[in-house]
Amino acid sequence: MGRIADLIRVGPISGFRLRTKLLLLALTTLLLPWAGCQYAREMETVLRESEQQSLLAVTTTIAGSLRGKQGLLFREDSLDVSTGDHARDITPVVLSGAPLLDGRSDEWDTDSRNLIRVPGPEGDSLRLLAATHERWLYLALLVRDNKMVFDASALAPLDSATMGDRIWLAFDDKRGGQAQLFFSSTGPGRLVARRIETREYGREEAIEEPRIEAVWQRWREGYVLELGIPLTLVGQHLGVLIDDRDRRGATRSSYGTLEVSDLRATGRLIAASPDLNEHLRQFAQPGVELTVASASGAILTRIDAPALPGDYTRMRGFLPRMYRLFLDGDVIPRGVSQAERQRAAENLTARVAQGKPETALFAGRYENSVIVAAAAPIYSADGKNVFGVIQLAQTADRWLTLRDRALTRLLNLTLFVTLFAVVAAFWFAGRMTLRISRLGAASETALGREGNLSRVLPEAEARDELGDLSRSFSSLLGRLDEYTGYLRTLAGKLAHEIRTPLTIIRSSLENLESEGGDSANAKTYISRAREGSERLGAILTAMGAATRVEEAIAHSDRQRFDLAALVRESADAYGGAFPSRQFAARVPDGPVEIDGAPELIVQMLDKLVDNAVDFSVDGATISIVLQSDDRHVELSVANPGPALPPETGSRLFESLWQSRAESDKRPHFGLGLYIVRLIAEFHGGTARAENLPDDSGAVFTIRLDR
Amino acid sequence: MKKTIAIVEDERAIRDNYAAAFSREGYAVRGYPNRREAMAAFAARLPDLAVIDISLEDEPEGGFELCRELRGLSPELPIIFLTARDSELDAVSGLRLGADDFLTKDLSLAHLIARVNALFRRVDALRRPTEEKQVIRRGALTLDSERMSVEWNGQVVLLSLTEFWIVYALTKHPGHVKNRQQLMDAANVVLDDNTITSHIKRIRRKFQVVDEKFDAVHTVYGMGYRWVE
Repeated sequence: MGRIADLIRVGPISGFRLRTKLLLLALTTLLLPWAGCQYAREMETVLRESEQQSLLAVTTTIAGSLRGKQGLLFREDSLDVSTGDHARDITPVVLSGAPLLDGRSDEWDTDSRNLIRVPGPEGDSLRLLAATHERWLYLALLVRDNKMVFDASALAPLDSATMGDRIWLAFDDKRGGQAQLFFSSTGPGRLVARRIETREYGREEAIEEPRIEAVWQRWREGYVLELGIPLTLVGQHLGVLIDDRDRRGATRSSYGTLEVSDLRATGRLIAASPDLNEHLRQFAQPGVELTVASASGAILTRIDAPALPGDYTRMRGFLPRMYRLFLDGDVIPRGVSQAERQRAAENLTARVAQGKPETALFAGRYENSVIVAAAAPIYSADGKNVFGVIQLAQTADRWLTLRDRALTRLLNLTLFVTLFAVVAAFWFAGRMTLRISRLGAASETALGREGNLSRVLPEAEARDELGDLSRSFSSLLGRLDEYTGYLRTLAGKLAHEIRTPLTIIRSSLENLESEGGDSANAKTYISRAREGSERLGAILTAMGAATRVEEAIAHSDRQRFDLAALVRESADAYGGAFPSRQFAARVPDGPVEIDGAPELIVQMLDKLVDNAVDFSVDGATISIVLQSDDRHVELSVANPGPALPPETGSRLFESLWQSRAESDKRPHFGLGLYIVRLIAEFHGGTARAENLPDDSGAVFTIRLDR
Repeated sequence: MKKTIAIVEDERAIRDNYAAAFSREGYAVRGYPNRREAMAAFAARLPDLAVIDISLEDEPEGGFELCRELRGLSPELPIIFLTARDSELDAVSGLRLGADDFLTKDLSLAHLIARVNALFRRVDALRRPTEEKQVIRRGALTLDSERMSVEWNGQVVLLSLTEFWIVYALTKHPGHVKNRQQLMDAANVVLDDNTITSHIKRIRRKFQVVDEKFDAVHTVYGMGYRWVE
């Protein structure tokens, strides 16, 4: 019985474990985000590759459309760009708007690959940028000059004594000759180009060329000259030269892209055809930047990406940022400077110029932005030479955004599902624990209850395993109850059944004694037999004690009586009954009236005192204490002696419970304290057993309602 | 003429042992194993005293039924229940049916015979005029030790033999506490504490039937009982 109760008692603990287990189980749904990440990466790879492939396909198509159409690419279709010295070639960028000629360098892209850098003496240098817009060619010369000198006289530009710094511009003209013009000024501002004409007698004269405008401005490190020339004037070659003088009239030191000796232009002007943009515009796609470069790598034109339709900007916020941290990884280069990006693009062009289309990934201009690029060579009509490279670049934001969006949705969903699963698991586990512990508690109390167990355990109606468990428990407890019931009544039944044969023995002995037992031996035997039968009778009486008490309880009438007087009188009497023990009674002076059956209370006290006497040694003091307050009365009997075995608790008061180590002469059936409990419960009270605080004995307390 | 005692007891060995004991005392004894045979014989001729077991062969309550029928035949016939059943309920039922005593089989033969003799004495005494010296008067109580009859305020209180002997022992020395053992000795009976308690309870109740305020039997807890005038 106890073992089953123990099994049931561990219920709440295992229930807690159950809850933890289910919680852990629910947490495994957190694996979903991980799986999602893996999936997203796969998806990203596929997306990226397909994006690259499609971009490459488009690039190749455009390249095909330009195949052999040098005239569409270059202003001069006879230009052979595949050979020659590229260092002095000038490749203007096609601009969508005309630059403002103001002598300021800020609107020029000085990082452009088309920039030409020519070193001069003493740390001086020239940086040359070129651009075209419609029918105009624009040049920007950024000259670093430690000592800039203007002409002293505007009237005598050719007087070598008053000459300052000047800039030469030379190009093939349309007639096959060479045009050589110079820019000089007495101060910053607008000016026009002039050329030197030789008149009669070798007199040289500076003639203004009003079609070529320029603006000369000082600059922090020197000066800037911006100029515009109608493209119609310019032939295949073009160059500039700086005549640098440290003071007026000093010896010049010249550097630039012209031949210093005869001011002949050897560098070519590789300008895109005005029709190129028109041609390329048909391929323009949202978000795709289109660049055409010459085989040398100089950019001919770039069609900026039209704005992306809709919201393809990458998602902001904490969670997407976190997700990206997991995902972006090795694929995309990070923290790349503008120059490195530039170099990567140049390298791509250079590689593709060898003849093979290729794709690449660049870090974008902004944090975390990525650019997908595809480049394809443009072949000449015979397919032998590459004269240009077309490159399409697209921010990867589109597919990254798609990926992020899908992933964010997935992760948010997963988090929600996990949360839901955890809550559900908690709820389920809590409910399970509650049900199990309720079942456990019910089983325990059902077991503790003496007598009938007709009560149905909770969950008996449930269809799940707990219901089965409950029903099993019910039937088990039922059988157990029948068994204990049988055991409990066994003593009484046995006593009753044995009484008849005992009566036969006893009456026979008495007859024998009266009639035949004359001899001395016979008398001895008869008296021994009688002694034995009397002991047997005492045993039977003890066995039936509980049954008789139960009957007595059933026939008891309650009356109001003074418990204090009862205890006082009884305690006096115990002194006489048990001379080997001291009795110390502590009873309130006044009457303590309760409703009850005094005979039963006396009997209960008798049993408690019997018990106290049995478990104490001679001379021990047994204390009987009666305490009362407004609502309760407590009667306790304490004896020094062995402490109660641990965990006996209320089982002491169960029928047939025995904890006596050694048997003494009187028969014990573990009914004494059971009777105590029966009587206490008849009075609506409870019985409990505890050890004395220092384990020096035991105290049995009956608590009754007043 | 020998007095006739009928023993109705289904256990043959017990019946014969009791018969032997009563024969030794000079009584004529007839034994019957069941109610049917007993009633058949009683219809022909009544015994002077009947000792009846409650459960008789196939009738668990056959003794009660027999007692009722026998009482119908004769109101004065002394009837003793002698049974292995010692429950309070059985005792109450038996005595309510008009039995003069309710005894358990723990009782020794000597005690049984003492009771039988006493009951016969009472029957005889009832036939003779009352002798004053046998009568004890204690306030409202009048107790005739010969007839074993008790009156309270002039009203008869019907007590069983055991109850009478307990009252007799208490009133012989009013105010003295008689413990359980003394009461058992006086009543020629071996009883456990509970049975003494229930006897006392029955005695009080019987007196209270004639006088609601009856309170002469006092309990001295842990000691016993005493008669208070």
